[in-house]
Amino acid sequence: MVMDYLAEKYLRKRKTPSTACSGCGLGEAQKMLLKAIDDLGYGIDDLIWGTSIGCAGRQTFGTWKGDGLAGTHGRIYALISGLTLTLKPEMKIVCTVGDGDAFGIGLMHLLNAARRNVNATVVVCDNLGYQSTGGQYSWSTPLGSVTDSSPYGMFETNWIQDGRDVLNIIREAGATFLARHVSMDGEFGVESMRRALLNRGFSLVHVIFPCVTNYANTALGARDSIKIFRWIWDHACPLDQEPKKDTIWRTGVYHDTTNSRLDFATAIHNKLDELRRSERP
Amino acid sequence: MKRYLETGNFAIAEGAAMAGCRLFVGYPITPATEIAEAMSKIMPKIGGIYLQAEDECAAFHMCIGGALGGLKAMTATSGPGFILYADPYGWAIGSEIPVVVLNSGRVGPVSGITGSPGQGEFYNVRYPTQGGNYEAIVLAPNTAQEAFQLTVEAFYLSERFRTPVTILADQLVTDGMEDITIPETDKEKKKMGLRFAERGVHPGPVFYPDTDEIDIPPVVLGRKTHALCSDWTPTAEGYDTEVVEQCHQHVYRLIYKIRNHKDLITRYDPLFMDDDPDLVVVSYGTPSRVVKSAVKKAREKGMKVGALRLISLWPFIDEIFTTKATYLSVEFNYDGQLVREVQRACPKDSDVHFFGQCGELPKISDLMDLFKSLLDGKPISAIKWEREAW
Repeated sequence: MVMDYLAEKYLRKRKTPSTACSGCGLGEAQKMLLKAIDDLGYGIDDLIWGTSIGCAGRQTFGTWKGDGLAGTHGRIYALISGLTLTLKPEMKIVCTVGDGDAFGIGLMHLLNAARRNVNATVVVCDNLGYQSTGGQYSWSTPLGSVTDSSPYGMFETNWIQDGRDVLNIIREAGATFLARHVSMDGEFGVESMRRALLNRGFSLVHVIFPCVTNYANTALGARDSIKIFRWIWDHACPLDQEPKKDTIWRTGVYHDTTNSRLDFATAIHNKLDELRRSERP
Repeated sequence: MKRYLETGNFAIAEGAAMAGCRLFVGYPITPATEIAEAMSKIMPKIGGIYLQAEDECAAFHMCIGGALGGLKAMTATSGPGFILYADPYGWAIGSEIPVVVLNSGRVGPVSGITGSPGQGEFYNVRYPTQGGNYEAIVLAPNTAQEAFQLTVEAFYLSERFRTPVTILADQLVTDGMEDITIPETDKEKKKMGLRFAERGVHPGPVFYPDTDEIDIPPVVLGRKTHALCSDWTPTAEGYDTEVVEQCHQHVYRLIYKIRNHKDLITRYDPLFMDDDPDLVVVSYGTPSRVVKSAVKKAREKGMKVGALRLISLWPFIDEIFTTKATYLSVEFNYDGQLVREVQRACPKDSDVHFFGQCGELPKISDLMDLFKSLLDGKPISAIKWEREAW
């Protein structure tokens, strides 16, 4: 079997092929990120790969050939805030996390990491709910969707519809690069990931990907990968185009103030240097 | 040597700095706030970092993050913050990351009485996180001076055992102003019994070995070792696993690296225990200071009373409860926590009693009345703990 070039270069053999369900779109999201990493010429020792709990975290943990860590549910943003203080300036942290982790249990830590402008690229791999626990709704589940915990349709206010957008909150919190894509965006998504990685500060790319096993089954009525891939594609609209009535996700770069302010670790080390200089006789 | 009239909080911060702590992340909480304040002054002066996090859970996680990058890290809180440590504490135990934690006890439950001493955390610090399958290391100072020394010791133990170590103090230990001596030269440090251990970097690839050995350096990220660490049960290389045999290997290590090297951790202070006393008073932290005075006075009056002060709380020192006597546990709580362990560890058929109050110290005279009643075989007004009841 001929391995994929990116997998050969960056991923551990033990973890390839992926442990995700067949038909899962997570691989597309991870591949976009790997492609961007490769395009920028990073090696396995240039990046530390963080993950979290849930499909996105568990299936990507330990895949990166270099250093890897997984935080407890929702706390990886606090963990990397500490870790970034210890790294050489040229080192990067990337995180692949889920929608429940980033926008549910971990949102407060995520916002604080954005406020600090922690030098990390967080890719929120969003499969529209808590799928590793069997398919319960999260706050990125589209309104009306039937899931295992919303048998009569998703009824709770979410973070992405009715005029709300979680990316706006994260922008206000201080993130310096924000984009959203669907996993079938291909090169369009890779370009955003490259820009995210080039930002020395807090970047977040939100990627919607299809869950064939649970979400497609309950929300669309069949474990039909073509159906859910098409359904997600049909409900996404690039930011520079006129949205349709049933558009759920606007895709593209939301916010880019790349390198406009110092990242957390640099700011702190600069302050320490300043103190050291002022104390010198 | 340098002498100060200062608080336990100051002493703890000095101890941490001397032990090599270079990252302190806190969250304000009475009565541990002053440690954070002291660290905010000290850390930048010695090239360290002081930060405040959005909550205690994040504070501990940021400490772990720093420790994962190779820094010695510490955080401090009180009971209401300690429960928010549950998540990261478990992570640090499982991934075997050295971190030092201070818990200054106040009156509970929940926010309780913020500025008064309590000892309601005796079991919390033994079981700081969910899931079991681990041993915890906990030290309990009773003076500001000892808080300094045990802070240094906590860093030493956390490095050697590569696990978090908790210092369980109480509000009087951390807030109280006392005479503190801080050694300066290596000779002075040695004379005080201080021990130090440096941070190593595990070279891999077997990061989680199947052994109870200590002195194995922890995982450090960013050093090209291709380390993996997570909240899941790890294989020897750090991959997440659901295989029960690998879980056995991992948790055997978490438990027995501590149980099999218990002698390095345990310490206690016996008083009048050489002549088989009829009554043994057990305590730790600030109440032990009143107990000490009361026991000394009782001896002057001819009462055959001895005392055991626990300096390390966990792993529990069962071995020292050999005297056939009546036991009395004196604690800063009303529900009786230490007494349960005394009950379990003391010789069979021992009579075990509990006296507890919190918020303020027991009076020496009250304790002496208690001793007299117990020695006379009279029932005491506080709850009597019968072995049969358990």
